[in-house]
Amino acid sequence: MTEPISMRLHAAALPLWEAQLDHPFVRGIGDGTLEEERFRRWVLQDYVYLKEFARVFAWAVAKADRLESMGWYATVLDMTLNKEMALHRSYAERFGITEAELEAVSMWPTTRAYTDFLVRTAADGDMADLLAALLPCAWGYIVIGQALAGGDRPDDARYADWIDQYASEEFESAGTWLREELDRVVGAADVPTFTRLREIFLLSSRYELRFWDMCWEGEEWPAAEAGR
Amino acid sequence: MSFIDEQDRRYAPLWSRIREHPFLLETRDGTLDPETFATWMRQDYLFVEAAIPFIGALLPKAPVEHWAPLSGVIGALEKELHLFEERAARVGVELRGAPPAFACHAYVQFLLSTAAHASYPVAWTVLYAAERAYHDSWVVVRDGIDPDSPWTPFVENWAGGEFASYVGWLGGELETLAREASPGERERMSEAYRLTLLYELAFWEMAHGAEGWPGTDDDLARTAGGPRWNPDPEAATEGAWSNLADHARKATGEVDHD
Repeated sequence: MTEPISMRLHAAALPLWEAQLDHPFVRGIGDGTLEEERFRRWVLQDYVYLKEFARVFAWAVAKADRLESMGWYATVLDMTLNKEMALHRSYAERFGITEAELEAVSMWPTTRAYTDFLVRTAADGDMADLLAALLPCAWGYIVIGQALAGGDRPDDARYADWIDQYASEEFESAGTWLREELDRVVGAADVPTFTRLREIFLLSSRYELRFWDMCWEGEEWPAAEAGR
Repeated sequence: MSFIDEQDRRYAPLWSRIREHPFLLETRDGTLDPETFATWMRQDYLFVEAAIPFIGALLPKAPVEHWAPLSGVIGALEKELHLFEERAARVGVELRGAPPAFACHAYVQFLLSTAAHASYPVAWTVLYAAERAYHDSWVVVRDGIDPDSPWTPFVENWAGGEFASYVGWLGGELETLAREASPGERERMSEAYRLTLLYELAFWEMAHGAEGWPGTDDDLARTAGGPRWNPDPEAATEGAWSNLADHARKATGEVDHD
């Protein structure tokens, strides 16, 4: 009896996922010590990230092999574009970030590279590729949210709400559906399929880790002063 | 003012940073660490491999008169891969098996996502800016490099007349596309131009400083870089762009008649 593909991918990426849980940015959310300046970077960059992430679900609607899956992706797409983006905007307000500021955000190199990777994999790959590319975000945030929810609640309500959102049952059930969908679509993976999906899954995991680095340190394009 | 002149004025500081990059100056002067050049070769080989599906993905969007020249570009890129293989064998560099550096991976994703999602004029802008940056960069190296340098064949490939003629043709077509574009589309083309130059600069920076990914396991960074070739070692490695230069001359002639 072979382990489901999602579990095999998770095992392959475990060091990268553990490095995220151990990242000072993530730990700082958990204990409430993260400087607001660093977290603001996440709020801004994640907003532009989400727009592109929605495109991946749009591709999923187009590529799904059955009506039930098409409907599910369409619901997620609707939720992302018409609810989550609005939630993100009101959440940003709690950090003094206006809607105009959010709309004016330009992508830093890691955000740009990660979203380009996601949308081009969604466009060029099959459903398994698409799911392997998006799961490290969709599933990874749930793992982080649940891990942080297991500790003491941070005093800063904004961080506590962040944890609650990703540790919520709603996110948990969406994550489980996506994992099971990957397992269903792939079935018993042959070696080349596993190798391909592993590379995609690891790359997205690597980008997730790099996203925390970016928000922790700040990031610039080379010659940022010359580029504008 | 032409579209390209407008962009070059707008992004003049970026062009300066590219043309004055230490990687190019040290390659020209023969002072570059051979391992640094080897790093660039391995990464650029991965990039050229990925440029082939980029061109392929443009074909469904392309006007029919671009089909033949774009097919020619694919052929020329395959010859460029042979040029890398021949040079690498000559100097004892192992070309294959290196994981893509972040700048290389990011640039490739930008190309492929542009081909899938952007309009044809925007994607064409990326193609032009990338090729033009290569031509201009290697012209810097050409003016002063020792003719016996092992890197002279790269200079001849990208600073040579055939490649210059191909870039000139790309530029002419870009002007036509820009003239027909709405102001909003021209702005998107300009942004694509800017991003391409940033990636070109980031690529030299990466080669010169060998930047990496978070984490240390190279194996984890390894990705599917695109189709693998089984190169024919007998294939010519010189004049990769000659068929395109011919086409450019013909196409320019045709345009003149219109």
